Amino acid sequence: MIHNYIGPRSAIFPVLFIMLLVFFVLGVSVGAVSIPPLEVVRILLKHIPGFNRYLTAGVTPEHEIIILTIRFPRVVLAALVGAGLALAGATFQGLFRNPMADPFIIGVSSGAALGAVTSIIVFSVLNISIHFGIPIFAFVFSVMTIFMVYNLARVGGKVPVMTLLLAGIAVSSLLSALVSLCIFFSGNQLHQVVFWLMGGFSGRGWDYVYMFIPYGVIGSTVIFIYARELNAMLLGEEPAQHLGVEVEIVKRRLLIAAALLTGACVSVSGLIGFVGLVIPHIVRIIFGPDHRILLPAVTLTGASFLVIADALARVVIAPVELPVGIITALIGGPFFIYLLRRQKTAMF
Amino acid sequence: MLLNILGVTCGYGASHVLKDASLQVNNSDFVGIVGPNGSGKSTLLRTISRVLQPLHGKVLLEEEDIYHMSSAKVAKKMAVVTQEQGLDFPFLVRDVVMMGRIPHLNRFEREGLKDQEVVARAMELTDISLLAERQVNELSGGEKQRVLIARALAQEPRILLLDEPTSYLDLNYQIEIMELLVRLRRDCGLTIVMVLHDLNLASRYCDYLLVVKDGKIHAGGTPYQVITANMIKEVYGCEVRVECPNSIERPYIVFYPEEHGAIRESRERWVHVVGGGGTGVGLFRNLLKSGWKVSTGVVNIGDSDWQEACRLGVSMTAAPPFCNVGIKEVMQNKEMMNQADFIIMAGIPFGTGNLRNLECVLEEAEKGGPVIVVDNIDICERDYTGGKAEDIYKKLLKSGARIVNSEWEAIMLMGGEDVNAI
Repeated sequence: MIHNYIGPRSAIFPVLFIMLLVFFVLGVSVGAVSIPPLEVVRILLKHIPGFNRYLTAGVTPEHEIIILTIRFPRVVLAALVGAGLALAGATFQGLFRNPMADPFIIGVSSGAALGAVTSIIVFSVLNISIHFGIPIFAFVFSVMTIFMVYNLARVGGKVPVMTLLLAGIAVSSLLSALVSLCIFFSGNQLHQVVFWLMGGFSGRGWDYVYMFIPYGVIGSTVIFIYARELNAMLLGEEPAQHLGVEVEIVKRRLLIAAALLTGACVSVSGLIGFVGLVIPHIVRIIFGPDHRILLPAVTLTGASFLVIADALARVVIAPVELPVGIITALIGGPFFIYLLRRQKTAMF
Repeated sequence: MLLNILGVTCGYGASHVLKDASLQVNNSDFVGIVGPNGSGKSTLLRTISRVLQPLHGKVLLEEEDIYHMSSAKVAKKMAVVTQEQGLDFPFLVRDVVMMGRIPHLNRFEREGLKDQEVVARAMELTDISLLAERQVNELSGGEKQRVLIARALAQEPRILLLDEPTSYLDLNYQIEIMELLVRLRRDCGLTIVMVLHDLNLASRYCDYLLVVKDGKIHAGGTPYQVITANMIKEVYGCEVRVECPNSIERPYIVFYPEEHGAIRESRERWVHVVGGGGTGVGLFRNLLKSGWKVSTGVVNIGDSDWQEACRLGVSMTAAPPFCNVGIKEVMQNKEMMNQADFIIMAGIPFGTGNLRNLECVLEEAEKGGPVIVVDNIDICERDYTGGKAEDIYKKLLKSGARIVNSEWEAIMLMGGEDVNAI
């Protein structure tokens, strides 16, 4: 009976990774100017040291510029945000043993949105360039929100799942109302605010990628470290405590890490729904509830998903771009409903 | 001392659910905590398992306060199996059992060969090796419970705490789980502390029982001492009979149907037995069977008659062991004698301790009370007071008391049947 049981199941990672690469190349190749996938591969390899000397032929300089400065950062950002949202969603769901938990329900996304909208208005009133103000505000607000929700939900030193979800829903509706209020009074900035809220990656360059990376790395590292504890907590907080998990500490760290990830995602891309809810669900149904498998799988799948969604957003009614949130909802919604119908029992 | 619970008081919010509870557990003890719903027995277990910090008092695990230890350190010594456990997720059985290794693993450590061996052994002990590849959410109640016990064993603990592991299980699973625990204690030297609902299971399997009532420890002791009709009346407020076929078997509870109890209550024929030293064991039972209300006194606490009286719910006057009977007990005993329709003086040995009983019977007999003396063994052979008892006894024989040769004759006599008595 003795064998390494992580082994066979981790065979899925290369598959998911290759899938992500394929979608990545496709994502880069489609758009207003279509660039053949092979050329995309050539251009990408050209910039990897060691490969460049074999691949000089068949590259158009204009295409190279489009890819490196516009398409590539945008698709990278889509992949990062998809991974971040899915990972944050998986963490919230595992932590609260509730398939309905995701960054939106906990209120973190609304907090980040309020931060971003506030910053757009404040900076424009003060007449300052707003470019880097948004993510900082979004992040600060999302962390503040998670602490507000966490403290509201706390009963006698513990945070029961039920009160946490209720507090999340309450705070989230309050924040949404505040966002609406901001929109109402936004005046000249109306278009900018609404455009940002719709979410998307249009015009996002490398600076957004660099902005995301520190938060993303810290947040996801913490989450990956606690994969085993998340498994134990899926059996309930008391049983986890009995297994030697310092439940309250782990919970607090995971909440902050997931808020960090969400704040980073929202600040660079606006509000993109469904990724944090649907992706962990789908992955869990296919690969089971073990977070050591689930978390990496969710990360890769979330990245793939948002890369495809972003590519579709660009081509469906080209040359006009759809907000990517519409695409994620259109793909994710029906798929989610299908899965719900097929597997009514045991959503976890 | 493996586990030492010192005067813990705890509760949720302002109300104290448990008041000043203490319990000492040694290596390889098998302790049962029993009591009615809401008595605080599960709260006590939660306090011991480092979930609910007590407001006062301490829980020491090998002389160390568990609330000052890390969870992982506690989890290496103590494993807990609770009632509601979220085994609703499609984890494989083996993965769930492997979770028991969490306290033993460092943060970045993968499960090694040793962990897999421990898990394999835990599954073997609980007989779930064949289920290893199954999903836990698809198992039956009994199988799930065994998986949880296997997970607890994978922690390689010294103590296993269980909160009603058998409730909601079918009879066969209940016995299976209890037998498993007995085996674990015997083969692995595991110490077991469990909250139990079923008093008969508790009596059958536990060596020491703690009775919790209204947040206080009502009694503690071996099943023989604790499982008594009187205790159940006091704690659960219902009339039962406690049977114990022989001294090897554990006592078990038999429930009276309602009407049976009513008949007992209505019967006013009362007999008071002056016994001790084991005479009551047969006599109480025969009297009860013949429909008498029985009382006894004065008996020493811990005496076999005392135990039997406790078990059968016989009212009595009791005195501490190895002491002469005091004034208070004598008064209470006389009160009982006055109210009884008959007083039976059993053929018991006399020492200085129970000489007062004999004197009391003599007083009653001289007053003309309905005394029956069972004169089955010569008084010389059972007098350990150097003649004092013999003197009193001889007076008793002449006092007008009815003399019979056996306990059975006494019962027939009281029943109004013609006995060839003197």
